[in-house]
Amino acid sequence: MIVVIATNENNLDAEVALHFGRCGWYCLYFKESQTTEFIENIDRDKEEKAGTAAAEFLLGKNISMVVAGRFGSKVVNIFRNNKVQMVIPETSKNIKEIINQINI
Amino acid sequence: MFIMFAAGKNMARTKKDRHIQKAPHFIGFLPQGIQKNSGTEVIINFEEYEALKLCDYELMTQAEAAILMNISRPTFTRIYESVRRKIAKAFVEGSGIQFEGGNVAMMHWYKCTNCKISFSLPDASENSCPFCKSADLIHNI
Repeated sequence: MIVVIATNENNLDAEVALHFGRCGWYCLYFKESQTTEFIENIDRDKEEKAGTAAAEFLLGKNISMVVAGRFGSKVVNIFRNNKVQMVIPETSKNIKEIINQINI
Repeated sequence: MFIMFAAGKNMARTKKDRHIQKAPHFIGFLPQGIQKNSGTEVIINFEEYEALKLCDYELMTQAEAAILMNISRPTFTRIYESVRRKIAKAFVEGSGIQFEGGNVAMMHWYKCTNCKISFSLPDASENSCPFCKSADLIHNI
């Protein structure tokens, strides 16, 4: 299972980004091997459809869950249609905390 | 007994969650052409945004909108009045508007109070929290 966590920095202490489409980095967490990989969000400065571009790029990696502070309405539709689970933490959390919760 | 009485007197009744279909996809408005903002921003709750949208954008009657938001018609009218006054205040005083907070439950989203997260369920048969696997969820239809 691959979980994507939206964040603004490329380290494990960084907090979950407030917006999925406009965040700086995506942290991919591979649950089986317990490894992480950071991918820069190259679409973040697009005027329009930054989230859509990012969502389509990530879908190519066969992800099954996305964690971010907020999702735009187009992104919500894309993830719903592709059966990807979206998770919104209610309090601010860093990547390590999210990974610990996934592993419970 | 006295403590219970005092607490009961000071505590407001908890507000029931109002159902909303979709949150706004931006965070607010700023007035144009003023040098310095007045410092007071008008905060509009998500339930107020939803009330205005149902009534004046989707042109529903208040009774229909109240059913959709799972509240009584008088409560709906109260929320609707409140948002109209807030918008009028922002317009006249030239203050910004921000969408924030409120007692709302998003349609098609679920909450796990244990993990403090909201999430969508891509597979309707799997009714459990993705993190703690607890089936004790707050279900928003």
